[in-house]
Order: sequence, then structure tokens, then C-alpha cells
Amino acid sequence: MKDNNSSRRKFLKLGLAAGATALIGGGGKVLSAVSNPGQASGETGEKVKLLSPDGTLVEVDKGHCHACPATGKEARQGIPNKKMVMVIDLARCRNARKCLEGCQSMHHLPPKIEWIKFFLLRDSKDTSPYWFPKPCFQCNNPPCVKVCPVGATFKRTDGIVLIDNDRCIGCKFCMAACPYSSRVFNWGSPDQEPLPADKKYSPETSWPQKVGTVGKCDFCPDMVRQGKLPSCVTSCPNGVYFYGDKNEDTVTNGTETVRFSEIVQQRAAYRYMEELGTEPGVYYLPPVNRLFDYKVGFQDLKPEEIQLYKKEANLSE
Amino acid sequence: MEYNSKTYKNYETFKPQLESIGRYGYFFITAMVMIIAWGTYALYTQLSKGQVVTGMRDYVIWGIYDANFIFFIGISYAGALISGILHLLRVEWRHPILRMAETITVISTLIGPSYIFLSMGRLERVWHLFVYGRIQSPIVWDVIAISTYLIGSFIFLYLACVRDLAFMRDHPIGIGRWRNRIYKFMSANYRDTPKQRELLNQLIDLISIVIIPLAILVHSVLAWIFGMTLRPGWHSTIFAPYFVLAAVYSGTGVLILVMFVFRKIYHLEAVITKNHFNYLGILLMILGALYGYFTFSEYLTNWYGSVKWDMEVLYRLFDASTYWWWFFFSAFIGVLLPIGLIAMPRLRNINTIVFAALIAVTALWVKRYLIIIPTLETPLLPLHDLRPEFASYSPSWVEWSLTAMGIAIWLLLFFLFSKFLPIVPVVRVPVSEERDYFKLRKLARERILRRLISKTRKEKNVVVGIVILMILSSSLVCRAQDPVKSRLKLEFLNKSGTRMLTTKLTSKKDDQTIPLQGMQVSFFIQGEKDKVLLGKESTDEAGKATFTLPGKLDVPRNKEGKYSYSATYEGSKEFQPSESSTEIRDVFMKITFSQKDSSKLINLFAVEINQKGDSIPIEGSTVIFYVPRTFSSLKIGEQAVKSGHADLDFPVTLPGDSAGNLPVVAKFEDNDNYGSAEVSATMAWGKPLPPDVIIKRGLGDTNAPLWMVYTLIVLLSLVWFHFTYAIITIFRIRWLGNKALKEEQAQIGSK
Repeated sequence: MKDNNSSRRKFLKLGLAAGATALIGGGGKVLSAVSNPGQASGETGEKVKLLSPDGTLVEVDKGHCHACPATGKEARQGIPNKKMVMVIDLARCRNARKCLEGCQSMHHLPPKIEWIKFFLLRDSKDTSPYWFPKPCFQCNNPPCVKVCPVGATFKRTDGIVLIDNDRCIGCKFCMAACPYSSRVFNWGSPDQEPLPADKKYSPETSWPQKVGTVGKCDFCPDMVRQGKLPSCVTSCPNGVYFYGDKNEDTVTNGTETVRFSEIVQQRAAYRYMEELGTEPGVYYLPPVNRLFDYKVGFQDLKPEEIQLYKKEANLSE
Repeated sequence: MEYNSKTYKNYETFKPQLESIGRYGYFFITAMVMIIAWGTYALYTQLSKGQVVTGMRDYVIWGIYDANFIFFIGISYAGALISGILHLLRVEWRHPILRMAETITVISTLIGPSYIFLSMGRLERVWHLFVYGRIQSPIVWDVIAISTYLIGSFIFLYLACVRDLAFMRDHPIGIGRWRNRIYKFMSANYRDTPKQRELLNQLIDLISIVIIPLAILVHSVLAWIFGMTLRPGWHSTIFAPYFVLAAVYSGTGVLILVMFVFRKIYHLEAVITKNHFNYLGILLMILGALYGYFTFSEYLTNWYGSVKWDMEVLYRLFDASTYWWWFFFSAFIGVLLPIGLIAMPRLRNINTIVFAALIAVTALWVKRYLIIIPTLETPLLPLHDLRPEFASYSPSWVEWSLTAMGIAIWLLLFFLFSKFLPIVPVVRVPVSEERDYFKLRKLARERILRRLISKTRKEKNVVVGIVILMILSSSLVCRAQDPVKSRLKLEFLNKSGTRMLTTKLTSKKDDQTIPLQGMQVSFFIQGEKDKVLLGKESTDEAGKATFTLPGKLDVPRNKEGKYSYSATYEGSKEFQPSESSTEIRDVFMKITFSQKDSSKLINLFAVEINQKGDSIPIEGSTVIFYVPRTFSSLKIGEQAVKSGHADLDFPVTLPGDSAGNLPVVAKFEDNDNYGSAEVSATMAWGKPLPPDVIIKRGLGDTNAPLWMVYTLIVLLSLVWFHFTYAIITIFRIRWLGNKALKEEQAQIGSK
């Protein structure tokens, strides 16, 4: 066990980040193996491609892939030279809620834990309501991080705000501080699929959730390390979510890949409640030229839910 | 050591109280212990099941625990501020009530913070505060401030007890040797020598001065927990002074109640007189007026500015279906009634003052509830939650039980303390030793007021929502086990000269395409006559299998100059076999870069290989240019290849790595002839990426801003300098007493 750990540590020190894009040869050469992770036991023989911090693709044994999500100090630092952003196209959202389902299955969450929330917003009585899916905004000036008494929630260089469930004392101050109600609390047991014995807890996977601690959307840094898109992005049937690295000036919803600066400038993107000074990392494209009428979003809802939404949005009919 | 007759007279009043608990006393203790036992059960429930047993949920994350916390810290002001200020002003009538006030402080400061622990999700990780504590967090300010305050108020209480402890040591009571030992130990050898007396008086004055700013800071810090958030109703600049005032108000109220109770049960009418009630009543009235002024100012500003969220909280407070009656009680009755009762001399008597204090204290508890809950029920984004317990808060039995437990412990500790030391100081410091600055005018008149009963109770609409967890679909019913059709798709990929065959194996189930994992796929190439097996690969979890072709293929090209590849899946019991094939002509591609004047170009050179193996420039096919990115490829343009060449402007505005290195890819995509063929090259013409900026100090960083660190160090050293001085001086008094005793004994011996 000890050997296993130390080799994992060594492996981590290599600073391997993820990125198995591999589709188009990427920016680099494909190496056959990383400087001898083969010494370690538990190899499967299968190879997985990962992106190293300097941008080259490397291939490692799949048996080491549990090292993909960083743990410990490394998880607090962030993936080097990245700045993750999200662009949400409100014109395409019809409240299908597939993103939430994807999120829950990816993070092994039971239906009662919702990290993405859906609002029917209406800016004024004269305007039309629109659906507003809301992940954690990963603010650049995060009020939640400021108030944490133990540094259990932290802002990383890659722009992601994470929670260390092993450190959180459950004071809920971060929840009070978050103006966007993005955080949820594990009031009771999370009733979650347990972490396999060979895997280690990492704030990057947010799995497992622990009773008496805070949880939230984590922007899936473990997926970023593997060059994969978060589940909310890939499971959205309408391509609402664009995710990407601001340092690459590129965001993608899985099918379309666009320049971040172009899409936010041309489509007048805004950040929700910018006036609070939180500097969110999630941009919204205004709901103009919509693909769906907002009423389409009611079709999968329960009657009492529809009533609640209508009440909050001041809809009479 | 000599005591005057008045001291003995005082002592006679208390001796029976100290020596026996009495029938009612035992009854009281039993009752309190029962409540505490019940509370312990509630605590066990919460600790074992988590906070799910409370009424708190994701929106209302703090509940009556936190209201209790503010409340107890608030009433602790009785000792700190009231006794501190009265002592410094040398108010003559203060002596009988000082000890009560200071005891309120110590006990409340013990009970209050325990509610913060109850409100924590992981109680067993409290030590994280000391290991990982960040001084940017108001909670850490609180931990530091309250613990310092607790130590300070304990020292304050102790100093005021030293004379009595010495008296008790000199006059052992009948029961319990251990008590006499404690008296002896704690009396610090105080023998009232001139030097000891001087030191003690000096210390009490010093700690009274230190405890006042400390107390103000404690409640300010508490207010800042709320004030530092961006929530409507909390994010207010007057919150700190508002909390301080509310605290003194409720502290004075509790002091009046405590005086009343002890006066009744210990028959202290001679010691705690009508005047004490009058004086404190007037203080209560003044504080009530100030508190009312702050309340008015706070809500007027919010209402006048009418910011959307502030208004939503106000609507909640003024809506009869939510909090209006609570608000009415706390902001109107709780202020106006005490003022009215005490301001009018005709109404003012002990009973009305006590009643006014009771109203003030209850109103202030309600006020704390109204600070926390309505704001949390008004998030900035709409509260769309069908679960009624998420949408609005009502405390659960666990929370009420633990609240009752806290009050029970408070009462019990107070009672036990009054059995240990006289609740009114027995030994009085001669007035001549102190300077009097201030005297309140005597005011007295007694009248009886009709009792007012005001019961307000909030009725909440309970919405019952039924959540359906699972819908069993009929598709789960088993069907006949015929093999299902499978589908294989073969694609060719030429990646910078490395040729690969990729397949995707899928099947359809309930109109959904599912990948088949772990299946064996065989790859073939068409030889002169037969298919030649290239190799076998098994599919991954996405149903994909990839085979890399060797650099040289030992089969001839067909007439069109193409190779014919195929892949087959042999099928299994569950899935039918399937196959797929494709014909591909090999290409050779190369990217170079060129700069002409100000334009930077990507130059692609592409040729196809004919039957004989000769290179022929490609004509007409469309090539697409990409920049590879973390998740996908960003298309930067497309061109039709003309006589083997295609050029495109280099995307100079795109960021590359720190040196500006930007890889570009040229690709024929699903081309009928070439399949997918691509080539990549890197050039340092992109925008260089600035290195990650790591800010070392700041509110959101691991290390705090320096001014914060310095402020904390200065404040703590100031306070602890005085505390240390006090502790050292206590030991000095002890030493001086020992010396005096020895001299005395030596004198007796020499005689």
C-alpha cells in the first residue's frame, strides 16, 4: 500500500494534467509512456492519454488514472495556465433539465442533491420570462471563499472554486455569503454510491459528499484534466452550455466550437448581477431570437411546480 | 483581618442560603437536570443523524441556534458594560448588583458560543479553526474575540469575588470541607493589607476599562458575520453599533429580571432596594429609546431607498401572513411599552419595571430571530423550491429542546453559583476609598399596572408536496432473447502520416444508441485476391476500437490508387454480426509558415499517391484548418486546395502558450477519397499567454492582508498585556498575603 502511495505521489509530481482530446494530434507529440510509471504495481496495460502542464500529450497506464484528479495541495492550486469559463446561451434553454441529470450521474449524486438550479426569470412585468439554468458561477472575487474560516473552500489559479469536504466544518457561512444560492448543504447522509476502496477523495471530483459539509457545482476539474467536457455540457440536448479555457479563447458545447471573445462580444453576453462585484466566471447570452417559447419548459413539470414558477415570475395565466 | 459589623450582618443574610439548598432548590435542580437530560437526547439525535433533524435547510441555513447565540452574547453585556461602566463611574448603589451582572456575563458567554457549535455541521472538526484558521473570516474574529472576552469577564468576576472568598475562608461554613478548601485556595491569601488592597482596587479598575472596549468589539464582530455578506437586511453599515445597543438593552433587561428573582427567593429586600430597580429601569428606558432610534433609522433607510431585495425583506416583515406580528412585537411593543411604563412616574414600580424588562428581553430574542430568518428566506434569486421545509423555516423539536437546555444550564449554573458565594458581595469596600462622580436622582412611586398579555403566534402555511421518486417503465419487462442488430462504422484517419482505422460498434436499444464495450473487432485490408487480416482490437467503453496501420502495407493499390479496408464484428449470443468497409487513397500533407509584409500565412502542401506510388498535387478538395484546444478543435478557416496548395492567414489574435506557440492543423474531413487526413505544425505567432498571477495576500487568499494581521496582533497584545498583568498581580497579592501571615506568626511567636 505504501509503495502504491509513493508511486502515485511520484506520478503526481510529474504534474500530469489531463487532455485526451487526441482527435487532431493536439499540440504535441504522443509519448509512449511517462518516465516509468511502470515501476508501480496495478498496471492494466491499457493506455490513457493525458495532457501534461506544458501542453504535450502523454500516455499513461489506465491503472494510474485514479491519480487524474489531483489531491492534497495540488488540488488547491489548479491546473496551470488555464482559466475555465462557461457561456450559457439562454436563447436555447427550454428547461429540459438534462444537464442536472448528467451532473447527478457523473457526481454520483442522488436526485435530492441539485447542484444546477433552474429559474424562470422575468426582468420586469413588460418583458417575457425566460429559463435560467444556474451552475456555480466560480466567481473571481468569491464572497464564499473570503468568509470561510478554515480555508475549506478556495479559489484556484484555473478560476475554479472548490470545496475540501475533509476540511469543511459545516458552519455554512459560505452559503450565507453566496448571493447566488449556489451552495447546498448535506443536512443528512448524502445517500450516495460509496467511493471505491482504491480511489482517494479529491476536492476535484467532489465525491463522496459528506454529511454536515457543503457541496456545490465544481466545474469538473477532473474532467478538464482528462480533456473531457463536464457532463452538463455534453448532456444538454440543445447545446446551451459552452465550456472552455479563457486562456485559449475557446469555448465548446460539444458540437460547436467558437471563440470565447467573439461569442461574448457579438451576442452581448452578461454576467448575472455583475453589480455585486463578484466577477462571475459564467457568462450568459441574452434570451433573444429564442429557439423555444418559455412555455415549452413547463411540459415536464408537476402542476404545483408550474404554479410556483408562475407565481415567482408574476405570470397570471 | 477584621470585618465591620455590616459585613457580618450581610453575611447572616446569606449564610442559610449557602448552607442548604432547600426543598424548592432540590425541586428546581431536578427539573433543570431533567430538561438538560432531554436536551442531551436531542443533542445525541442531532449528532448521530446530522442537522437533517433541525428545521434548517438550504435557504434558511441558520435558525434559532444562531438567534440564541446572539441573544446570550447580548445579555452577557450586563456584566461587561453595565458593571464596568457603573464601577468606573463609582456609582454608589452598584455594589449589590455587581456580582449578579458579572455572573450573567460569564455564564452567558459560556452558553452562547455553544449554540454556534450546534449550528456547525461537523462539530468534531472544531480544531480545524486553530489549525487552518483564516483571519480574513469574521467567524475567526468571533472565535478570537469571544474566547478573549470569556477569559476577561472571568478575571473580572474573580477579582470582584476575592474579598468575599477571603471572608468565607476566615469564616468556614458548616457543610463540606471541600468548599472551605476551594475558598482558601481561591482567596489568593488576601488579608486586606494596605498593599494588597491597593493592588486589588487598581486591578478591578484596570479590567473594567479593558472589558468595555472588548465587549463592544465582541458584539461588533458578531454583527459583522451578518454585515459582511451581500444579503438584504444584513449588509448594513450600522449593524455593529445596532447590535451593541441591542445587546446592552437586553443585558440590562436580564439583569433586572435576575435581581427580581434573587430578591424574591433569597428575601433580599433590604439589600436590593426599590431604587436599584428604578435606576436600572431608567437606564433600560434610555437604552430602549436609543435602540428604537437605530431600528427606525435602519428600516427607514431601507424603505426609502427601496432597493428590490431590501423591499422584499421589508414586505416579509410587514406582511401579516409572514412576520408582521413578530415584527410588531419586537420593534413596537418591545420598545414603546418599556419606555412608556418606565417614563411615567405614576406607572413606575418594581413590578412594572420587571414586566418592562421581560418584554424587552423577549422582544430582543424575537428581534434576533427576525434578523436571521426573513433575510435567509429572501435569497437574491427567486426561491423556487417545492419542498416546504426549504422554502420557509420552522424550528424542529430538536432545536427547541436544545434551546430549553441552554436556558436550563444557564439557570442551573446561576443557582449553583449563588449557593457557592453570596450573590451580593458581603464585604464592601469602604466608600471613602473611592471617588464618587455621579449620583442619580432619587425617584420613587409605586402603582400597579394591569397585566398585559400579548400572545403572538405566527401561523405558517404548510404546503404539502409529494415527490415521486421513481417511475417504473414497462420496458423493464423482459422480452425474448433474440440477438439484437449491431452496427459497425469504420473510419480512416491519417494523422501526420500515421494511418489509423477506427471503428465504432453500437447497438440500438429502446430507440437509443448504446455503445458495445469489450467486443472483438477484426481489421482487414483487401489483397490481390483475398482479404488480409491486419489485426484485432477490442472496443472501449465508448464502443470504439482503433488499429494503427504499419508504416508500409504489402498489398498493391487498386486501379483507382486506393486501399480497401474493412472491419468485421463476429457477433455474439446477444448481438448480430456486422461489418463495414471503406476505400481510401493515401495523401501526403505538410504545413509550412511564411511571412509576407505584414501578413502571416499558413501554407499547406498536399499531394495524393496514385496506383504506382507517385505523388500528384491535390486539386479541388476542401481542407479545413483548426487550432486544437483542450476539449475540441477551433475551426479557423477552410480552403479549396489548388494544385496541391492552400494558404490561410495565421490566427495571430489567438492565444498560444507562454511563448506564443500555437499549433495549427489542416485536415481533410471525411473525404470520399482520403478519409480523414490531417497534419499539424506549431508556430510562435500566437498571442503569448501571461503567466498565472498568484496573489499571495488578500481576503480570498490563504494569507490575510498585512493590515489585518497587524491590527489583530496589536489588539490581542493590548488586551493580553492587561490580562497577563492581572494574573501576575493576583499571584503577587497571594505572595504578599503569605508574607503578611508569616510576619504575623513571627510576631506572635516572639511575644
